[in-house]
Amino acid sequence: MSPRRTSSGGRIDRDRSVRFTFDGRQLSGHPGDTLASALLASGVTLVGRSFKYHRPRGIFAAGADEPNALVTVLRDGVREPNIPATQIEIYDGLIAVSQNRWPSLAFDIGAVNGLAGGLISAGFYYKTFMGPVIGPLKGTRFWMFCEWFIRRAAGLGRADTAKDPWRYERMNAFCDVLVVGAGPAGIGAAKAAAASGKRVILAEMDPAIGGSAKWSGETIGGQQAADWASDTADELANQPNVRLLTRTTVWGYYDGNVLAAIERVADHRKVIGKGEPRHRHWVIRAGQVVLATGALERPLVFSGNDRPGVMLASATQRYAAEYGVLPGTSVAFFTNNDSAYAAAAALAKAGANVTAIVDVRSELSMPARALAQQAGAELLLGHAVTGTSGGRALAGVSVQRLTGGKPAGEARKLAVDCLGVSGGWSPVIHLASQAGQKPEWNDTLQAFMPPAPTQNWKGAGAFNGVFDTATVLADGRAAGEAASDARASRAKGPDVGAPALDAAPAPVFEIAGGKKAFVDLQHDVTADDVRLAHREGFVSVEHLKRYTTLGMATDQGKTSNVPGLAIMAAARGVSVPEVGATRFRAPYAPVSIGSIAAERAGDFAPDRLTPTHDWHVEHGARMYTVGLWHRPMIYGLPGETVEQAYVREARAVRGSVGLMDVSTLGKIAVKGPDAAIFLDRVYTNIFSTLPVGRARYGLMLREDGIAFDDGTTWRLGEHDFLMTTTTTGAGKVMQQLEYFLDVVWPDLRVSLTSVTDEWAGAAVAGPNARKVLEKAVAGIAVDDTALPFMGIVRGEIDGAPVVVCRLSFSGELAYEVYCGAGHGTHVWEALMAAGAPFGILPYGLEASGALRIEKGHVTGSEIDGRTTARDLHLDWMLSKKKPFVGSAVMDRGELNSVDRVRLVGVVSLDGRALNGGSHIVLDGSLEKLGESIGHVTAVCYSPALERYIGLALVRGGKARHGSRAFVSDPLRGRFGPVEIVSHHFFDPDGSRMHG
Amino acid sequence: MVERESPIGPAYRPGSYGNLTGGPGFRLLELKPGSVVEVVAWPGSEATALAAISAVTGLALADTPGSGVATKTRSAFGFAPRKWLVIDQAEGTGAQLEAAMTSAAGSVTDLSHGRTVIRVSGPRVEWVLAKLFAIDFALAAFPMSAGRATAHHEVFAQIQRSGEQQFDIVVFRSFARSFWKTLCHLAEEVGCEVV
Repeated sequence: MSPRRTSSGGRIDRDRSVRFTFDGRQLSGHPGDTLASALLASGVTLVGRSFKYHRPRGIFAAGADEPNALVTVLRDGVREPNIPATQIEIYDGLIAVSQNRWPSLAFDIGAVNGLAGGLISAGFYYKTFMGPVIGPLKGTRFWMFCEWFIRRAAGLGRADTAKDPWRYERMNAFCDVLVVGAGPAGIGAAKAAAASGKRVILAEMDPAIGGSAKWSGETIGGQQAADWASDTADELANQPNVRLLTRTTVWGYYDGNVLAAIERVADHRKVIGKGEPRHRHWVIRAGQVVLATGALERPLVFSGNDRPGVMLASATQRYAAEYGVLPGTSVAFFTNNDSAYAAAAALAKAGANVTAIVDVRSELSMPARALAQQAGAELLLGHAVTGTSGGRALAGVSVQRLTGGKPAGEARKLAVDCLGVSGGWSPVIHLASQAGQKPEWNDTLQAFMPPAPTQNWKGAGAFNGVFDTATVLADGRAAGEAASDARASRAKGPDVGAPALDAAPAPVFEIAGGKKAFVDLQHDVTADDVRLAHREGFVSVEHLKRYTTLGMATDQGKTSNVPGLAIMAAARGVSVPEVGATRFRAPYAPVSIGSIAAERAGDFAPDRLTPTHDWHVEHGARMYTVGLWHRPMIYGLPGETVEQAYVREARAVRGSVGLMDVSTLGKIAVKGPDAAIFLDRVYTNIFSTLPVGRARYGLMLREDGIAFDDGTTWRLGEHDFLMTTTTTGAGKVMQQLEYFLDVVWPDLRVSLTSVTDEWAGAAVAGPNARKVLEKAVAGIAVDDTALPFMGIVRGEIDGAPVVVCRLSFSGELAYEVYCGAGHGTHVWEALMAAGAPFGILPYGLEASGALRIEKGHVTGSEIDGRTTARDLHLDWMLSKKKPFVGSAVMDRGELNSVDRVRLVGVVSLDGRALNGGSHIVLDGSLEKLGESIGHVTAVCYSPALERYIGLALVRGGKARHGSRAFVSDPLRGRFGPVEIVSHHFFDPDGSRMHG
Repeated sequence: MVERESPIGPAYRPGSYGNLTGGPGFRLLELKPGSVVEVVAWPGSEATALAAISAVTGLALADTPGSGVATKTRSAFGFAPRKWLVIDQAEGTGAQLEAAMTSAAGSVTDLSHGRTVIRVSGPRVEWVLAKLFAIDFALAAFPMSAGRATAHHEVFAQIQRSGEQQFDIVVFRSFARSFWKTLCHLAEEVGCEVV
């Protein structure tokens, strides 16, 4: 049994042991221990090194406010830094290591920084690293040179580069009332809201609900408060309308009463269950919120107040009462308020020798005096602690009498190994600050109180500055009732047995004099740093924070904010509220990035598969993604390069016949009596004149006159159109069309339905395409008369109904065969079989790309959000007979300037491949950049021309046909001559597809 | 008639997976209805559309947002203003609805191939769905037979409550396999049974 472990008490399971290591040392504790309590029980006082000066630091708090005891946890091969030891529940096999020390925690070379303390004060970097004005390290280079060393010397834990192996999940939750914090106030609120039948979520960051009831030593309803808390937890857990979320920190408050919380599901267990996430990110949409987040004790600022063994008075009490650990054997307290007296009594009760209570006040209430007596402590009223001694552990403190608020006279030494300090209490108003106005200063409590809400929340308990448990319970109940719109209950609350202490502290934050009196323990900011900032003009609270880094880092100044502001106020000779406070931002406490990424981590986008996906994969297709779609790129043969494969496929199309999966094209059913009018408005060309059973190529512009998307639209019935869009444009076209119907023309009787997934599409292309269809399609003729260019027929292929439209993207005689998606593979295989005598080949996107480049057909590479119809030589599609979206601005001068880039073709003259994205220049070299006159949008090896060709957008456009230029691609080291030609490389009169 | 191929493909692996200590908390089944049809009414023609749905399917829908009805073999629910989805185990319902609705009243679009209907059920069904969708699945907020339209990232989902612990999720066919795998993955924690 550890010498620091009390013989009884505490909410730990003394019958079982838990083994863990800290810095390689085997230690043990009990279930219910935190790493902090187990380390204290094992007599470990030195837990970390401070940020700047590498001073030895111990455990200072018992909760999320811990500034010092940050450790790195090693688990499953991953290191997670900067976790407060107070927030880690120990489990068998836990491995924790200390941080910011080298070579070891006990002997840390960086501690030499402490000797230069006067030098590395606030603003040190700003002042020092201005850089020489001349020489090789001129200006910021010197900074950059030093940065590497500084970053190694400063800072806390080191982040890992290994992949995070754990699962994280997001949960969406809805409730009528969310209660944040399950201390007596939160419990009271949750019970009241649950009793009125509301759906309640009660979130508590600790493993068990109860808050201060777990360690206050008070009685509630005749029971020990801790027992009352666990009975109430059982009672609430059994109510169907209550969801208890323990180990859950509500960390952000967002618009619409949406709150973010992190649940640490498995951090406290050795094994993460099957399928279980490590953390859950809860997004809670609450009708009403009750903030019962309690209050945090503040430290006092005095010389040497960072020595291991100095800790918050409430923390000493909590370790003794909740964990059965004495943080010291000989303990003193230093306070400006009554609450430390309860701690002193609790420590004495747990078996510690409480030597003295040092109180800056000279008057004391009777209940506090009684507690001091219970503790058997010497009362040193009107005194202050002015210094500490010891190395890696506290050995003693110096106490002096206060005269006129200043320490004077002979210092008296007290030999203690633990000093509990209390500088008053600050309500935890972080969430309220995110959903409220400015916090309000309360002179009595010397604290910032919750602001007026700007969202639906109510406060309760210590959050409201209410500290005695009977009132806290009543306040919680009232908040719960108000949040539930329930009538206030007149029933008497439970009896509470607790000393009647006065929560108001003396307005003392700092004992001036001496050296190294720390305000912010985590960022090593001293009281002198705050005064230095004042002297140098950084007096605004925002400047103070940035200049000194006060209140930054992982604890976000939970212990340091108010003392820092008070010291600045004193330096300026103004009140604390005149200095003001910074607004608390989310998160309240550190949150794992994994939890926020949640299920998206590693699985960012869903896969979108065509009906024939499995066939492609089985037939050797190399797939790649286009948006979310998976599409065949090539169907390569063993040993073939991508180019060899697509050239082979494209030759098959030009020479005989090929088959391509075009199911990914966006398809929108446009239906209704006004469908034709609607299409006339959204397309640049006319669709109302299109006969039933025919298709037409259409172009859409954006409202600003820039080309938007293109595709064919088929008229299947008088009021029934099937619009096709580009694969990647489908979503944005649908959105834009829905916007037009909902907002611009709500009077049109038109419906839009995405039918992309309803139809599987296969393009049969090549001179033998018709012969393939004649073999495959039953019940209808497909000759030139029955199925002319842009004609549509319905038939059947091997029993499956199909719609066939004759249109061409490849420039060959081609048809698109559509069937129900569930018949997609069936029809595809039937077409392959029908094409077998003609040597039909499936072809992928690369071949399709080559075929379309040869034809000069545009895609998203050219319709890139910058080009107009005229830039792409699509002016023939701009109807002069009717207005359409974009027509009002498309004729404006700038959109028709001769300086605009226009579509051309380019042919490589050096026999080498071109790169998409290369610039077109008139001069220059690989080393010397020429002036760009445009860029290459698409490239391929043309099997028809047997050259490397590309499409490009070039200033001057057609005027440059026949001229020479260069492609310049310095990033990929390509420079070479090209000829600018017409974009119609192949079969410019379209005889092949019309044949 | 050619049989329709399921989009779930090789991802369909019947059996029980994940943490089965409390028995499977989540069940997955592809419903494979014969018909999935979208009915749209022009403003003012809502009653005509509902009458057509009723005449063809016998399902009497209320004209209130998200309300739905269901029998063993067919169901319908509103998923947007003036828009309903009709799901029928029988094929050909689309054509019948088209015949019952004039284009003066609205439109009918057959989506039987284009949508996949996944039935999810079990004691932990609300828990698993809460991982995906920011809508309230509690019975009081999402009553029996009611419908909702929502999305999980890019995957549009129309959901109907078909039992106290059962929902039918309608997704685009192309996303069905990926979504199915996502459901299986997220249900591991509570034990997943693929029927």
